[in-house]
Amino acid sequence: MLDSLIIGAGPAGLAAAVASARQGLRVRVVDEFYQPGGRLLGQLHQEPDGTWWNGLAEAARLQQEAVEAGAEIRCGVSVFHVTRQDTSWIVSTSEGVMEASMLLIATGASETPVPIPGWTLPGVMSIGAAQVMTNVQRVRVGTRGVIIGINILSVAIARELLLAEVKVDRMILPAHSVISGDASHPVAVMQSMLRIAHLAPSPLIRMGSKWMKSTWMQRLGTALYPSRGFSMWGIPIQLRTAALAIIGVNQVEGVRIAHITPDGQPVSGTEQIIPADFVCIAGELSPLAELAAVAGCPFAYVPSLGGHIPIHNERMQTPLDGLYVAGNITGIESAKVALAQGTAAGMSMAFSHGSLRDPHVLSDSIKQIEIVRNNATLQFHPGIRAGRMQVGLMAAERSL
Amino acid sequence: MNARIMKHPILGERDPGKTMQFTFNGCAYSALEGETVAAALLASGIRTLRVHEEKGTPRGMYCNIGHCYECRVTINGIPTVRACMTLVEESMIVEAGTVLPTPLQKGGHHGCLIP
Amino acid sequence: MESHRVIVCRCEEVSLADLIETASSYSCTARELKLRTRAGMGCCGGRTCRNMLDQVIEAVTGQKPDHAVSLGYQPPVRPMSFQLLGGRK
Repeated sequence: MLDSLIIGAGPAGLAAAVASARQGLRVRVVDEFYQPGGRLLGQLHQEPDGTWWNGLAEAARLQQEAVEAGAEIRCGVSVFHVTRQDTSWIVSTSEGVMEASMLLIATGASETPVPIPGWTLPGVMSIGAAQVMTNVQRVRVGTRGVIIGINILSVAIARELLLAEVKVDRMILPAHSVISGDASHPVAVMQSMLRIAHLAPSPLIRMGSKWMKSTWMQRLGTALYPSRGFSMWGIPIQLRTAALAIIGVNQVEGVRIAHITPDGQPVSGTEQIIPADFVCIAGELSPLAELAAVAGCPFAYVPSLGGHIPIHNERMQTPLDGLYVAGNITGIESAKVALAQGTAAGMSMAFSHGSLRDPHVLSDSIKQIEIVRNNATLQFHPGIRAGRMQVGLMAAERSL
Repeated sequence: MNARIMKHPILGERDPGKTMQFTFNGCAYSALEGETVAAALLASGIRTLRVHEEKGTPRGMYCNIGHCYECRVTINGIPTVRACMTLVEESMIVEAGTVLPTPLQKGGHHGCLIP
Repeated sequence: MESHRVIVCRCEEVSLADLIETASSYSCTARELKLRTRAGMGCCGGRTCRNMLDQVIEAVTGQKPDHAVSLGYQPPVRPMSFQLLGGRK
């Protein structure tokens, strides 16, 4: 029987596999996708020092390390149920039943869209879909597109599309609806972009920190005024324009847009239809915790971490015997934090197993998560620490 | 314009690998090694992968990572296979989902095939 | 309102208008909203729209999500053939 089964071959799952297999555990990693790497696979952005973070290369490196450490990686395997039976976890998959004494769920996140009328038309896709199609599958998603939703992720991916010579006509906001929230509110969007700019000379933006602190913020501030917005790498970013509907008969043909007031209301008489053959919808990410739920794990609802989080302690243990979590399922943060969490989860499993005896190795790996978080050039949400503390307290209440 | 990104300023050249043939709704298409069904069809300009089983509205790839199931097709006779998660294999037979009959529903119909 | 015509649940083609009307008429929970409209009960298992259903309930009834997950998860969390569930591949 396996000592540890890891669901999800993203940064957290692979790092956990490396750490635990190196400690001598029998480890298997399964993933639905045909290639390991998870959300690392599409990532491509420039660090403040000018070097590129290439998620594909990171994934290949982790895969190699995991295999060299003795872990087995199986792709194209979908897990549809997990249950605890006596002293082991029974994992039902599309490739049959697997059994392990410890289970790590590292399934990452899914995108919560902001829907626009017409968004079911072929040619409309999530922003993450465009990223994977461009950087992993290396096929252009269209010849002229519109990105609906302006946030740190969509701005980063807009640039990736540009690198692949995919024309992004403009980035605009979704039209206001009762469920669009802050995403359709120009001032709120500007503030969230400014917050990110202030916290980090973003690795996503080529110009570097100096430019960020001056022109970038200034431009954002003034962007509320001329409604045509400002440009980044030649892509117009229009905080004062909203997508009212996506137009097309059998597939995307265009987007009906209008100017909006600073609080997001359309200005009458400004409607027009712009041509497009693809549209990307950029929403928020939320932890993909369905397998933790069917396992019976209790949750904490923490908006700053992206929604419902399986309760876990700093050793990444849940209240369920032998069930661990790591990566974006524990809260939306960068891939580097997920990597550090994965390593800690791997050490934690090895410690529980008994093959790792030195508690300092485990505690150092836990401390490393915070070091990585502090050094992160990109903070997804200002409330991450408070949110993590809340989850930690809820774990402590359960004597975890 | 060639939809395939053979050269990339950061990721470098794409290895074309071998070319494979497959069919979608009876028409022949080609794919490069390592392309998913969704990617290979998109590279040939095909975005509609199925129609809604009840309403008949056209659908294509949406999330591209296996979460939304919008790109589900029938492959070699097996239904509900995600085109975004499945690599093309030589001589693969891919079929779009069609409208299904809903005779028991109020105002229901007996279904029709998309052209 | 145009924004109400937008489809929220892509699998079952349930519109925002349907959801708002149901949530208002029954002043219900996200779970009841799902059962009444079928939103979140399609092929994807609600992975795409479940958070939006919570948002509709919050907008209409003021009920905010709490620690318990409002829309339960049931296995299988992926559509699986009866053949596979029956133990044959």
